[in-house]
Amino acid sequence: MTAAKPELKPGPISRLKFSWDRIVQWSLVLITVLLVVFPSWPIVYQSFLDSPLYEKARNFTLNNYTHILGDMHFWRILGYTLAFAFVTTVVAAIIGIILAVLINRTNIPMRGAYVNLVSIPYYVSPLVLAFAYMEMYGPQGFGTILVRMLGLPTWQLYTFGGIVVVAAMYYIPYTFLYASSSLALSDPQLESAARIGGATPFQTILYITIPLLRPAITYSVLLTLVSSLELLSIPLVLGNSVGIDTLSTYLYTLGVVGVSKDYGAIAVVSIFVIVMVTFLVYLQGRLTNLEKRFVTVGGKATRPKLLDLGPAKMLVSVFVGLYVILGIILPLACIMLESFVSFLSPFMNPLKVLTLNNYRDIFLTPAYRQSVVNSINISIFAAGIGILFMALVALTAYRSTFKGRNLVKYLALYPRAFPGIIIGIGFLWAFLLVPGIGSLRNTIVVMSIAFTMRYLPLGFSAISPAVLQISDELDRAARVAGATWLGTIRHIMLPILRPALLSGYILLAISFLKEYATALFLFSEGSRVMGTTMLELWRQGGAEPVAALSTIQMLITAVLILVSGRLLGVKLHE
Amino acid sequence: MNNDLIIQGLTKKFVTGTLPALSNINLTITEGQLTTLLGPSGCGKTTTLNCIAGLEQPDEGVIRIGDFYMTDTGRKLILPPEQRQIGMVFQSYALWPHMKVFDNVAFSLKLQKVSGSEIKKRVIDALELVDLGDLSGRYPFQLSGGQQQRVALARAVVTRPRLLLLDEPLSNLDAKIRETSRVWLRELQQRVGITTVYVTHDQSEAFAMSDKIAVMSKGNLLQYSPPEELYEHPATQFVAEFIGATSFLKGIVTSVEGNKVSVRLSNGDEMKISDHSERHWQMNNEVVVAIRSERVEVASDDKQGGNILHAGILSSTFLGSKWQHVVDTGSGSLKVETVDTVSEKRLSLFLPPDSILLFPAE
Repeated sequence: MTAAKPELKPGPISRLKFSWDRIVQWSLVLITVLLVVFPSWPIVYQSFLDSPLYEKARNFTLNNYTHILGDMHFWRILGYTLAFAFVTTVVAAIIGIILAVLINRTNIPMRGAYVNLVSIPYYVSPLVLAFAYMEMYGPQGFGTILVRMLGLPTWQLYTFGGIVVVAAMYYIPYTFLYASSSLALSDPQLESAARIGGATPFQTILYITIPLLRPAITYSVLLTLVSSLELLSIPLVLGNSVGIDTLSTYLYTLGVVGVSKDYGAIAVVSIFVIVMVTFLVYLQGRLTNLEKRFVTVGGKATRPKLLDLGPAKMLVSVFVGLYVILGIILPLACIMLESFVSFLSPFMNPLKVLTLNNYRDIFLTPAYRQSVVNSINISIFAAGIGILFMALVALTAYRSTFKGRNLVKYLALYPRAFPGIIIGIGFLWAFLLVPGIGSLRNTIVVMSIAFTMRYLPLGFSAISPAVLQISDELDRAARVAGATWLGTIRHIMLPILRPALLSGYILLAISFLKEYATALFLFSEGSRVMGTTMLELWRQGGAEPVAALSTIQMLITAVLILVSGRLLGVKLHE
Repeated sequence: MNNDLIIQGLTKKFVTGTLPALSNINLTITEGQLTTLLGPSGCGKTTTLNCIAGLEQPDEGVIRIGDFYMTDTGRKLILPPEQRQIGMVFQSYALWPHMKVFDNVAFSLKLQKVSGSEIKKRVIDALELVDLGDLSGRYPFQLSGGQQQRVALARAVVTRPRLLLLDEPLSNLDAKIRETSRVWLRELQQRVGITTVYVTHDQSEAFAMSDKIAVMSKGNLLQYSPPEELYEHPATQFVAEFIGATSFLKGIVTSVEGNKVSVRLSNGDEMKISDHSERHWQMNNEVVVAIRSERVEVASDDKQGGNILHAGILSSTFLGSKWQHVVDTGSGSLKVETVDTVSEKRLSLFLPPDSILLFPAE
């Protein structure tokens, strides 16, 4: 190479060249703002109206607020909801932590298998879990009747305690997965140091391991709390027949089932829930920040020595095994079995009533079949576009000089404060108000947009850590080498982010497949999804078709996880 | 045409957090020369480099190469990095892990839509320039640290940039490779003749490589001189300390004759100093005497032509090739080096008048 004498190309005045960077960044931010604002404003607007917002004769009023806030029934439901959420969270957190430590840090037999088995409910829709428990442990459930036949005392599932147990089963994997990945990342030298300092293995777990989990515990506890406050399916399916109501089921009853829909009441209750959850989400952010001092710097990934439980290890393993079999495998197996028989009961041999009729019903009824097709389309295509959008938002938030990038972070995470059912209400009303877009409601486009808004925080937080892990010198080097911001994203960031994008995509696809709450208010003839069809069928008393739909949904999820894991090496959790 | 790199009035105000501010940095870097920005971490050297690269935006200032203005806040002109036509080597080398060595080096040329055959030729030229011609098919993780650093350098010069920026490129290398690398790097820079700005906190690196050194502290430019001048005539006590004077004693000026200054130390010892600075000393000025440990000799009391100090040994450390002693002079402690072990508890130290620097007390 000859000595490189720089040649000066531009004259004395250098001028900025045009670049698409700012335009793309602005568009991304604008879309994010729209996603959050679009479903919010009709709710606020409606809360001050005396009649449904689409009617011509409507007047401003404060009556909705005075009416709801003065209603004892509302406060009773609120109290019940809070009690339900708190007890569920405490139970789920305690069991989740114990399981995480036992499975990751002790030498109990079968621990390898337990890791995956315990996480199963994380990937199952709570609606399916509710149906599964109903079929297995409900008053007419397979298991309940079986136990009664043996002359043993049985239980009442349709009670506060029963609902809490099922909800806790659903949320245990949250704490378990967060605590497990925190355990995997924590520096084993910290535990070794305690052992050198004279601590027994058990003392090490008690004084070092579990306290180090605090950030993960704080985070997952608040996540569970927020999520259980808005949980619809389990209280609805298990509590409906005995008159148990939470805020979510109350909204559902007001808006979907009720004969005369009280729009004002729905709006006020929605706002109340949003404000409450916003506070919790804010608290979660603050506490997580405070807990940063606990973050340990990862050392060499040497496997820590497992705590030897001695002779007790067999007994502990049996307990964990019973939890897995009774709590997860049997209910799910029960609903799968039910989908293949005409009637499931311990009094008759299921092999004699085997049938594929339930599946035939699903696939021959156009509306049911369409709901399956819609769900699959949404989870494949919308999730793909969604994760790309969320990645670009994350890159704008963390890797640009865009002035409002901090605002973008908050915006992208804010939908956490919106329960799915309320997002559905918001989108529905926005569609009623904005003329000319009503026909879209009949397509899955609307559903896809609403789901994208609902899971924006999930996708954003799935991608962000991967973005932050990439040294900023890599994109700086690309800029210096002559690439624009967009060029850097295309050639450097997205290729490096490929594994994170893939696992984010699978996570989003599973979530879209499971989602039902957002769709409840929003769906119409052409845009039903599996979840809405399940609830419809359930209300008509069709247990077996519900079981068939549940089985189809679990099957697709399993295929997604296995195929992505085997072929693409996708790991959904560390 | 004159293609010096000119930085005028570069100022960056304090951002919340720990980022260093820059206050009114002025530097002219002669075309084809290598200037080092030297200073402790947080002194503003990296901020200055990033402002030159366009990776950070100053509040005020002009940065230009001849008439090519890259930053001119008065005209609200701040070119983004990709429009500056510069090359840069980062501390971590920042090789893109998903691209082979060839593609890493070819990246800029591809963006410039250079033809395929031309790209191939220039990439191979660049890799041969850094003696890595046969590694173009490897991925970065398959290379040693030294090889990665050279790929980064090839990537930075392949576009024939008007300016090369180096951000502590040797700090991630083993001590042994570091010394050969800096000789190699300096030799290459001189052969290519590219204007270069080099950032480091290692003073020996700076001395070995630079045409000129700019010492920075807390966002200020303290001194901008060729290495020898910097060593012989540091402008401030901070500069003296940073480039290797190891001991400081307080005292008061007792007489001034031309550049011959007498200073009384706190225990009453008198020291005669030949001061080469431009400062004007007066009687009773409070001063700091800076002493370079490598110039201090252990001698007998009758040695003439310099100052003799008596000191007791506080501690001795064996460093392999020499011994280092911390001694107490009665006016403060000093570091002294000897080749052999010392058996005495007290030493007589000989300090030549021109081995001592004089600064006003702060």
